Amino acid sequence: MRRPVWILLVAVALAAMTLALAAGAVPLPVGEVWRALFGGGDVTTGAIVRGLRLPRVLLGFVVGTGLAASGAALQSTLRNALAEPYLLGVSGGAAVGAVLSVVLGLTAPALLPLSAFVGAAGAVVLVLGVARAAGGRADPRMLLMAGVVVGAFCTAAIMVALATAPEGTVRGALWWMMGSLGDARWSVVLWVSAYVLVGGALLLWWGRDLDVLALGEEAAASLGLDVERTTRRVFLAASLLAAATVAGAGLIGFVGLVVPAIARALGARGARATIGAAAWLGGTLVVLADLVARTALRPAELPLGAVTALVGVPFFLWRLRAAAAR
Amino acid sequence: MPLHRRLGGGPLLLAVCALAVACTSTASDQGTPLVVDDFGDTVRLAAPATRIVSLNPVTTEVLIAIGARERLVGRTHWDLGAAEVPDVGDGMQPNVEAILAQRPDLVVLYESPANRGAVERLRAAGITTIAFRTDRVADLARVAPVLGAAVGDRPAGITVAAAVRATIDSVAALPRRERPVRAFWHIWDAPLLTIGRGSYLTELLEAAGGRSLFDDLAAPSPQVTLEEIVRRDPDVILAGPAGAEAIRRHPGWAAVRAVREGRVLVVDTALVGRPGVRMGEAAAHLRRLLDDVRVP
Repeated sequence: MRRPVWILLVAVALAAMTLALAAGAVPLPVGEVWRALFGGGDVTTGAIVRGLRLPRVLLGFVVGTGLAASGAALQSTLRNALAEPYLLGVSGGAAVGAVLSVVLGLTAPALLPLSAFVGAAGAVVLVLGVARAAGGRADPRMLLMAGVVVGAFCTAAIMVALATAPEGTVRGALWWMMGSLGDARWSVVLWVSAYVLVGGALLLWWGRDLDVLALGEEAAASLGLDVERTTRRVFLAASLLAAATVAGAGLIGFVGLVVPAIARALGARGARATIGAAAWLGGTLVVLADLVARTALRPAELPLGAVTALVGVPFFLWRLRAAAAR
Repeated sequence: MPLHRRLGGGPLLLAVCALAVACTSTASDQGTPLVVDDFGDTVRLAAPATRIVSLNPVTTEVLIAIGARERLVGRTHWDLGAAEVPDVGDGMQPNVEAILAQRPDLVVLYESPANRGAVERLRAAGITTIAFRTDRVADLARVAPVLGAAVGDRPAGITVAAAVRATIDSVAALPRRERPVRAFWHIWDAPLLTIGRGSYLTELLEAAGGRSLFDDLAAPSPQVTLEEIVRRDPDVILAGPAGAEAIRRHPGWAAVRAVREGRVLVVDTALVGRPGVRMGEAAAHLRRLLDDVRVP
């Protein structure tokens, strides 16, 4: 990918974040937003920009980054353009982990991503196992089917956990499962960012291995790559990314599907460039989707997962058709 | 089976319905009361009920207030005020078998599409079943006399409803501020829910000299955004103990001036929680809360 494209990606991301900081129930001029960001302006403007919108915009960006990078890595490891943490049941597994940890009373922002990660990793193992048992993960549709089945199982597990949960947690949990940045606090932003940085850095570190893996398992093995170990590592890192986003903002689908495809269309080649470009684009997409979620139906708020699904599902169908035609 | 299904229409039915709608409960030619419930079904209350399952905390409360506690054989899981009455589970989409096991001769439910199926099945089992929507203050005056009639004491129902109405009116008649206190009522945190025009709480708040920040929204408990609250800039925030705690915990709430300036009033959720016989007390409680606050 050429340098002007990278500069464009970063510029668009910054513009989207500025727009999201300025727009909302209380529209603010961009000048005032900048002043408030650096501690100036009146109290209410400062509280809106620094207390409400900034953590929300940053959490949205980090969550989008994590989902897109996770999707890009899963697609390249599985050599399947339809792979995505939500559709593969990885996010569902993360949600099971997070819900169980909430039911048990473990809700610290540092801890939640970890229990989500345990759930996500469990879901990955299950999905790959089911796909293998059903005739191999080479068939993209088989893998998706396994993802749907595991996702449904995860939803059922969450319902069982909630049935025994104390009154009050249920409605909150159901809202969270539809995806929302409404709980964006600085502690959440920091912890989710930390896990996304670790997961993202690992994926970039293993980028060259991913490129070799993209040649096909046999070719990669003949070039001396430990295919099993690389695949396992990438799945774990992608699960960590998905888990951190689920812990921070609930279930947000299709970002990991749509964004890597756009990155490739913009000319990203190779795992590192695709993951990097997807990270910027994913952040931008979620920030804009959240802007729609909180302004489209004022004074109510739409679930963020519903907005990304409205964009993502048509795109998914279009890609599915392309994959089936091949 | 609802009576109108048996009658199959005609002028007689129209006349009965008109009468029934006019005063909700009326004597038919056979001397037993007929009621039209909120599903629009006409139901005959053949004899005073002796075994009642009440699946709406409001109707449970009313039945106890009119002296029918001994006749209650079932309540919802959430009805903590009537703990000695057997728990038959949820009030919405209830467990019909658990209700039948109590061998009731009257079942009272909350009117909602989610309960339609249960109503049909209970009536098919031969049990007199009525459903009422209890969302507004006026619903009590409509429902309490019917429940009174169902236990053979319609005047008791009328008295209970009138007493509640009188208390609310006496709170509303107290001297008022120059302008009502604009209050954001925090019902739930994620998603953020408040009270709209369709809620009795909006009415009680008005009786207490306040005004709901979202009384322009028709729904009983609409979902809103924190930013919209910032924009509308309420004088005070009303919240239950848990809600007030959530507001203190989440730094985003500092964007709301009333929160920054410490005007978060903690309401007694057990008292204001339902549009039942304690609505008068609830209005007085709200009035006391609003009286104690200095509004800019």
